[in-house]
Amino acid sequence: MKNKKSKTSGARREFLKTATLGVGAAAVAGTLLKGDDAKANAPLKSLEGAGYSETEHVKKYYELARM
Amino acid sequence: MEAIPLSPQFDVSEEELSRARLYRLLSRLLGAPADDELLLFLRSLKGDDSPLGQGLAALSGVADRLSVEEVAQEFNDLFIGVIKGELLPYGSHYLTGFLNEKPLAELRDAMSELGIARSDAASETEDHIASLFEIMHGMIMGDYGKPVSLADQFKFFKDHVETWSIKFFEDLEAAKSARLFMSVGLIGRLFMEIEGEAFKIAA
Repeated sequence: MKNKKSKTSGARREFLKTATLGVGAAAVAGTLLKGDDAKANAPLKSLEGAGYSETEHVKKYYELARM
Repeated sequence: MEAIPLSPQFDVSEEELSRARLYRLLSRLLGAPADDELLLFLRSLKGDDSPLGQGLAALSGVADRLSVEEVAQEFNDLFIGVIKGELLPYGSHYLTGFLNEKPLAELRDAMSELGIARSDAASETEDHIASLFEIMHGMIMGDYGKPVSLADQFKFFKDHVETWSIKFFEDLEAAKSARLFMSVGLIGRLFMEIEGEAFKIAA
């Protein structure tokens, strides 16, 4: 939204907005960012059992995300 | 709704965030059976009239009719099985017909360039679809130090994901045991097409 270093071109942004954001991305956003994020760890643990590769970076990030 | 940044350190635009969320959702769905909480979340999904929106709405509708036990059974039938599941969601299998072949070695090289490796606890290989999508999510969000440039994301996508994921999602959509995963297959296929297109616009 505001300033970004992402070099998302205008065309790409428009395309993605129409293709994914317009969708239920708002809905996906809501819970995945909040509900799911609060619980980010649980899915990851179960994923780990299924072969999810959790790196140190990812671990750190989920710690951050929980705060 | 207030946006809680997934990754506080980096400023990722809303459009790119939406990609990361879809990767994450699909990775979670394909990596392990849904638990009660995820099923509740799926039921809450809404979609607009776009194809992807309709896919999400369909997913929500199916999730509404299934119990967590039924979803676990479906996951088992599709991916685990008695000897093996209906589908083998690994890049190497899709690209060569065998597990643990050259595509996996090439993926490992690409991962080491990104500075990531498989956890010792992982029982699946890195070319599992859930693992690849987690990597895509991580590249967008900057989990591996800082967000990976679109050009590098594109390269990874082109080399390791796009080569087989659409075929896999088509198989998932058509799989005998697929109920919830019929919609997941549809959403995944559409998303892969969107990704390929969007990368080309950016490139």
